[in-house]
Amino acid sequence: MARARISGAARLALVVGALAAIVYPIPLQLQGQTYYQTVGFLVLVNAMLGVGWNVIGGWTGQFDFGPQVFFAVGAYTAALLYAKLGVIAWVGLLAGVAVAIVLCAVLTYPLTRLRGHYFAIATVAIWMIAQPIGASWEFIGAAQGLFLPVQTHDSVVGAALSLQFSGPTKALGYYYSALLLFAVTLALMALVERSKLGYYFRAIRDDQEAAEGIGIDSRRYKVIARSITAAVFAAAGALYAFWALSVFPEQVLELHWSTLPIMATVVGGIGRLWGPVLGAVILIPISQVMSTTLGTGPLAGRGIDLIVYGLIIIVIAAFRPTGLLSLPWGRWFGRRRPAPA
Amino acid sequence: MAPLLSVESSTKRFGGLLANRDVSLTVGAGEIVGLIGPNGAGKTTLFNCIAGYMHPDAGRIVFDGTDITRTRPERICRLGVARTWQVVRTFGRMTALDNVVCGALERTSRVTEARARASELLEFTGLGGRGDLLAATLTLADKKRLEIARALATRPRLLLLDEAMSGLTPLEAAAAVTLVRRIHEELGVAICVVEHVMEVVMPLSHRVVVLDYGVKIADGPPETVVRDEQVIRAYLGGRRAAR
Amino acid sequence: MTELAQAVVNGLQMGFLYALVAVGLAIIWGLMEMINFAHGEFLMLGMFGAWWLSAGFGIDPLLGIVPIAVAMYGFGVLVYRHLMRRVQGGDPFTQIFATIGLLFLLQNAVVAGFTSDYRFVNEGILASLSRTRLDVLGLTFGVPLLAAAGLALVLFLALYLLIERTEFGLALQATSEDRDAARLVGIRPQRMFAVAWGLGAALVAIAGAILVNFFAVYPQVGLQFTVLAYAIVALGGFGSILGTLLAALLVGVIQSVTVVYLSPAFKDAFVFASYLLIGLFRPQGLFGRF
Repeated sequence: MARARISGAARLALVVGALAAIVYPIPLQLQGQTYYQTVGFLVLVNAMLGVGWNVIGGWTGQFDFGPQVFFAVGAYTAALLYAKLGVIAWVGLLAGVAVAIVLCAVLTYPLTRLRGHYFAIATVAIWMIAQPIGASWEFIGAAQGLFLPVQTHDSVVGAALSLQFSGPTKALGYYYSALLLFAVTLALMALVERSKLGYYFRAIRDDQEAAEGIGIDSRRYKVIARSITAAVFAAAGALYAFWALSVFPEQVLELHWSTLPIMATVVGGIGRLWGPVLGAVILIPISQVMSTTLGTGPLAGRGIDLIVYGLIIIVIAAFRPTGLLSLPWGRWFGRRRPAPA
Repeated sequence: MAPLLSVESSTKRFGGLLANRDVSLTVGAGEIVGLIGPNGAGKTTLFNCIAGYMHPDAGRIVFDGTDITRTRPERICRLGVARTWQVVRTFGRMTALDNVVCGALERTSRVTEARARASELLEFTGLGGRGDLLAATLTLADKKRLEIARALATRPRLLLLDEAMSGLTPLEAAAAVTLVRRIHEELGVAICVVEHVMEVVMPLSHRVVVLDYGVKIADGPPETVVRDEQVIRAYLGGRRAAR
Repeated sequence: MTELAQAVVNGLQMGFLYALVAVGLAIIWGLMEMINFAHGEFLMLGMFGAWWLSAGFGIDPLLGIVPIAVAMYGFGVLVYRHLMRRVQGGDPFTQIFATIGLLFLLQNAVVAGFTSDYRFVNEGILASLSRTRLDVLGLTFGVPLLAAAGLALVLFLALYLLIERTEFGLALQATSEDRDAARLVGIRPQRMFAVAWGLGAALVAIAGAILVNFFAVYPQVGLQFTVLAYAIVALGGFGSILGTLLAALLVGVIQSVTVVYLSPAFKDAFVFASYLLIGLFRPQGLFGRF
């Protein structure tokens, strides 16, 4: 669990995975298949969101179905700052993160009085209230939303610094930007996992009252956990805004920005740092493949792809409820596991 | 010298049930106080009030000069009171070592320091070598030790032990008594222990307080309390025999 | 003043229908603590069942309630036995995940079979009464909605009596509080859970068969009701069937009043804002036991 040493097999998997992620889009670029780069982009964004959600959901054990609100906050903040003041993307991203953290802390603190399922509905409540506000608030464009004026840059550096890629390397650029953000998020969350915060979050999850008995202020740490999740969601939202070049309520406040990362986390293994990554790598390509093969052609419009997708989810849930990371990879690759008492 | 803990006329009601009525007790800094009484006498309710999980409807609780009547549990722990639970509550999904680390982090923010202290405490409570096991897989006796180690990690000056011996075999209970004595003597912690098992509580305590139906009926050295008529009637009346 | 009273009265009637939608969830989630993202899909299946019986066989939706209830009861038990039982022991999020899969499956199976077109039920007892109005004390009651609300109330009370006053209901409550203790007194928890799922599914499908007289039928119709049902059960408080009814009535009224005085876009937002407000003062809901 919270141990500093990584086994040899896991270290190997890490290196191979990192290389694969870095190299993945290059052969696609040479063949001009940018669609698959975009799939990779979506995998990375959802993996990042899953890693972020894991902090409040997997580690702290709280039912949170509302972080898409902070995804929207990040998207809108970055988009607004750029569209109205010309602030460059990365600064806008940081600003979005800051706004999301403050908003989350203020909103969540009173909600920590609510336990378990009641808290869950409260997170949904904030989302339900945010939707009509987003659709009617003129300052952020109401239902029309905001458009980000497109700018082409001559140099790669220029494009990267302002997060505005265009032309044949557009998908490639966004893929690597997502990879960078994802890597930073993963590294930061790994640090959190090993820190005092990581211990306290898991204590609250396992037994909140017992945790209070050893001095843990459960309300405060729930707020901190949720704010970390909000920060990750906001960063992803800002990236998304510059990728989509438009931000409007129906798109950034969609429930799937939280349900898909949650599903990925459950598939991979809830509470495990790499769980969401494994889950995203599996779920999203499956849904894309389903959608392009079964969702088009003679079977189009009949939802067959989603039927199969639903069946796959049900089968995974029924046969491996603890997530795919909990499969005995160690045994399969020859690593010894600690024995129970 | 003022007592470390002073409960003054604490009263706690649950709807129609009067769990604690006007209960007063003290624990001095160098004492082990036993809290006994038949089932339902209100012992755990009193503990919950002291530790901050409930607040008395009337009366006052003072710890080391600070009024903790309405204080939250985490703040009370910070002030120096730690507790164990009647039904053992470890952090099941974490290792034994990590459980104690959580306690140690109350007094230090550095994880390496906390881990070192946690290792020491695991040794002290007899769990050395079992630190990497998941808490949920430990035996009951080991889980109770773990709870104690975790509580000790917060550097308490008062330790509240709620039925720490229940469910243990005589051998395990004897080991637990030795541990409690060591905690008191080597770590200088005042202890208040709720217990059913007479052979354990009497030799261990400097003073014994007896509750019956929410009311204190005796408070004194063990030899005196054992001969008190009200106490004998409380235990033997209604076919409840003292073991 | 009569405008407000009218809004309240309309909201109350709608509230009884919401209560029927929510009570199935009150049993599955409120009592048995199992999360079901596909609750709205059960509702949708009830609606489609009623439409299909009406359009295909000329069976009045109100009569169709019986076969639909029986069929959905069996379906609920099936879902429990083959899916939910396997995910029950693990993380609650796995239950969520499993029922999301169920949601995709059910919704799109209906899309595959019937397409996403909107359908309507225009025949039947309630439809034939749609011109009739009742005027009492200056307030107007549409008879169909009034009749539907009445029916919902009767069914709700029947369920309340079942849960609170029969031995079976007590066994259900016992299982929800302490599974092992229930086992010790001879209750079989697996059977209780299966029955809870069957009942829950049947009740919300019945609600669908009634709602079909007032709402369009299409595969995605369930979502709006799902979110509202969850809010209602939580607002009423876990473990309290009566709380579900009162919360549903409250939600109906809040929605109705918001639509009249503020804006239809905010009707759900106000329901949830009320939830937050009430939650601050009563973290366990209006009548929650835990």
